[in-house]
Amino acid sequence: MPTSTKWPAVADDRLGGYADALLAVAAAEDASVVVEDELFRIGEALRSNEQLLAALSDRHLPIERRQGVVEDLLGSKASSTTTALVSMVVGTGRGGDLPAIVDEAVARSAAGRQKALARVRSAIELTDDQKSRLAQAIKQSTGTDVEIRVVIDESVLGGLVTEIGDDVIDGSVRRRMSQLRENFT
Amino acid sequence: MTRRIRHIAGALGLITVAVVALAAPAGASGETIGGCAIDKAIEAEEHLPSLHEIHDEEFEAEFEALEKEMESCLEAPSAIIPELDEIIWGGTAFLVLFGFMVWKGFPAVQGAMNARADRIAADLDAAEQAKVDAVKIKTDHEAELSGAKAEAAGIIDDARAQADQLKGELQARANEEVAEMRARAAADLESARSQAISDLRGDVSQIAVGAAEAVIKANLDRDAQSALVNAYIDEVAGRG
Repeated sequence: MPTSTKWPAVADDRLGGYADALLAVAAAEDASVVVEDELFRIGEALRSNEQLLAALSDRHLPIERRQGVVEDLLGSKASSTTTALVSMVVGTGRGGDLPAIVDEAVARSAAGRQKALARVRSAIELTDDQKSRLAQAIKQSTGTDVEIRVVIDESVLGGLVTEIGDDVIDGSVRRRMSQLRENFT
Repeated sequence: MTRRIRHIAGALGLITVAVVALAAPAGASGETIGGCAIDKAIEAEEHLPSLHEIHDEEFEAEFEALEKEMESCLEAPSAIIPELDEIIWGGTAFLVLFGFMVWKGFPAVQGAMNARADRIAADLDAAEQAKVDAVKIKTDHEAELSGAKAEAAGIIDDARAQADQLKGELQARANEEVAEMRARAAADLESARSQAISDLRGDVSQIAVGAAEAVIKANLDRDAQSALVNAYIDEVAGRG
């Protein structure tokens, strides 16, 4: 049975301004879906790679150097708009806040569609059918329309961990292993 | 006191003057040894016809008798019975002296004796009072001593009681400390045992769970993963 947990909410007017800017650029380039998806994945990648996040937020490194790292990493893997937006955020010295800015941008985009952002951690990629059924199941249980964003995280081992705002529904094998370990001790 | 002494001294002076004055007439009325011898000789001559016949044996006895009578002039008067004139003069002097003594001496002596008696009585009273005071002081001291002894006994009893109480408290505290130390030692032992068991369980569970994870990870293929996801979706849908 999945369990629910509260996570601290990130709310900052400055982050909201950056998030709105990202969404506005993506909309202006008519690449909102792609850019939002790429930004989300980049944000998750930075959240799981502390060294990379520290390098992008290191004020001792020249901005050009940090922006060069972004372009080297994303040049062939993301759209030019996404790369430019990430480079812009790093260039303003907000590289360390990039995961939070991206989360805010994706959440605001979903809110614009009258939906809440549901971050789903899974060991495997979900099919569209699974995403649809999961969204429907979440609506049934919480009464909230959600937009599914899947994060591939092998540490969950199996099953899913869904985060909707501050609510966490943990149905992962990792949690069951933790419970098993607790029962042993 | 000085006045009384002065009266006594005056009385003694008058007595001396009276004795001296009355002694002279008494002495003058007495007979001398020479006069006595002459009288005896004249009396014998009147009895003898002539002194030229003294060698006569008849008068030798008379002569010896005269000699004895003259020798009697050398003998003292009676040791017991004085002469009449001496009795008169002595009695008169005695009466004068006695009267004077009754008039002046006895009152002075009586006064002195009374004063002395009063002084002695006062001294005796003072001594009695001092004795009474001493007895009272002694009684007070004895009472104080008795009180002090009682107080000392009370203090000793209190000290002994406090010592006993302190001893009991120390004993109880020591017992409590010993019991506490034992309990603490037992708790530490139990804690160490529990910690060891917990650590062992942790290690065992870590190994077991790690092995389980490895097994699960090796056996979770895509179908199994997909089945877990579908089960999760069904469970979330069932929560509504």
